[in-house]
Amino acid sequence: MENSSKEEYKIQSFDLETQKLLKTALKDPGSVDLEKVSNVIVDQSLKDQNFSREAGRICYTIVQAEAKQTNGNVFRRNLLNRLQQEFKAREETRKRSTQEWVCLVSFICNIFDYLKVNNMPMMALVHPVYDCLFRLAQSDALQNEEEVDCLVLQLHRIGDQLEKMNMQLMDELFNLLRDGFLLQEDLSSMGRLLLLEILEFRAGGWTLSETAQKYYYSEVTD
Amino acid sequence: MSANGTSRLNKGTSRWTHCRKRGADGNLRKSLEVGEPDKCSQSSRRQESFTTPESEGPVSRVKNWGDEVEAEEMRSNVQRDMHRYRRRILEADFPQRDRKISSGSSDSRDSKDSKESPAKGDIETDETTLIRRQKQINYGKNTLAYDRYIKEVPKLMRQPGVHPKTPNKFKKYSRRSWDQQIKLWRVKLHAWDPPAEEGSDLQQIEEIDLGEIMEFELDVECSADTEFQCPTSSGALLSLAEDSFAGTPKKMMKIEDAEMS
Repeated sequence: MENSSKEEYKIQSFDLETQKLLKTALKDPGSVDLEKVSNVIVDQSLKDQNFSREAGRICYTIVQAEAKQTNGNVFRRNLLNRLQQEFKAREETRKRSTQEWVCLVSFICNIFDYLKVNNMPMMALVHPVYDCLFRLAQSDALQNEEEVDCLVLQLHRIGDQLEKMNMQLMDELFNLLRDGFLLQEDLSSMGRLLLLEILEFRAGGWTLSETAQKYYYSEVTD
Repeated sequence: MSANGTSRLNKGTSRWTHCRKRGADGNLRKSLEVGEPDKCSQSSRRQESFTTPESEGPVSRVKNWGDEVEAEEMRSNVQRDMHRYRRRILEADFPQRDRKISSGSSDSRDSKDSKESPAKGDIETDETTLIRRQKQINYGKNTLAYDRYIKEVPKLMRQPGVHPKTPNKFKKYSRRSWDQQIKLWRVKLHAWDPPAEEGSDLQQIEEIDLGEIMEFELDVECSADTEFQCPTSSGALLSLAEDSFAGTPKKMMKIEDAEMS
């Protein structure tokens, strides 16, 4: 049980004491300092790429556990407010470290994916998420494979949900991506490939046709 | 969209400008400088004031995500409750065929709800009101007394008049009537307070003006959507701190007698 929950929530990268804190938060949220827990999670998400992509799940579980046990939402509130701070400072973060910036985006999108409110995505996050994606679609970011990779990952995961929440913004975003693909000269070929794939992905209704899947993802025999 | 071919080549600025001629606040944007494609002014403008579909106007910058999401949750909970309630009323009015035969006239209903139920469509639907009422209910339900009450008395065993019943937020009531029902409900719930010290309880009980409670039992008619207007006497009663009624069961019986008369 111990190892499987580590695996499930991807908390192996934390030190043992913190792992213990998180496990307690999952079982008995009322007994821990939930503000501290939320900070610990956000801090790690900004450093650890793997964790930033999966942290949504553990957050969701803690939110549910707290709601059930004490009817409270201290954890969610602290998490969101901390996230908001980081979001506000995103441009500085991007200047300081691309890695941290893409971790931030992954984390926000993962939270958007997992933390639903009555099974609906949190409306408060829709514009912030779009803001991040638009930033990644700017020409200086498109030059950077790490950022393109982040962008397409998020669109794969939550693109269809985002589109439902706001079709117009998704259209505008894809206009930028189309333009970038066609006109931007300093894109790497990997960058171009990633963009082409995501363009096809959305055009296919947020899924790839079988042939496209083969084209992009099969091993190439030479 | 401009049909001019050059607009595509000037993609950064003129396309941008063309798509977003107006800011989210409705004012015309001044066009982007050519040299600032990464400014991402769209996002900074969006942060200043944007209108979400649900809100009445621009969202103030001061609001934090924690609060926003809580408000969203409250709204969607209330909407969900409303759908459930509507279904429940419809079911009560149109019971299953076999039940209808056995129960005879439409007056004899199993569901108590339909006897008291408002005519279809005559329920409170104003979201602001429902949210306000739900918050008041939540305050009451977040008490130790309520927890102990629901553990002790299962719903089926509840007797009207004796056991507190949560006011129904979907029924049409005037503001004063509703607030009064909440007060009385919470006073009744105090009977299940965890054991506390004797001395302090008796002190606080003196503050209740039983006469005023009786007066409002008579449910004065006001329009459902007037803002809270109360004569000064009720103002005094309602301004008492929520938890100043720390009653012992004996005291509660006195008040209930008054209600039932």
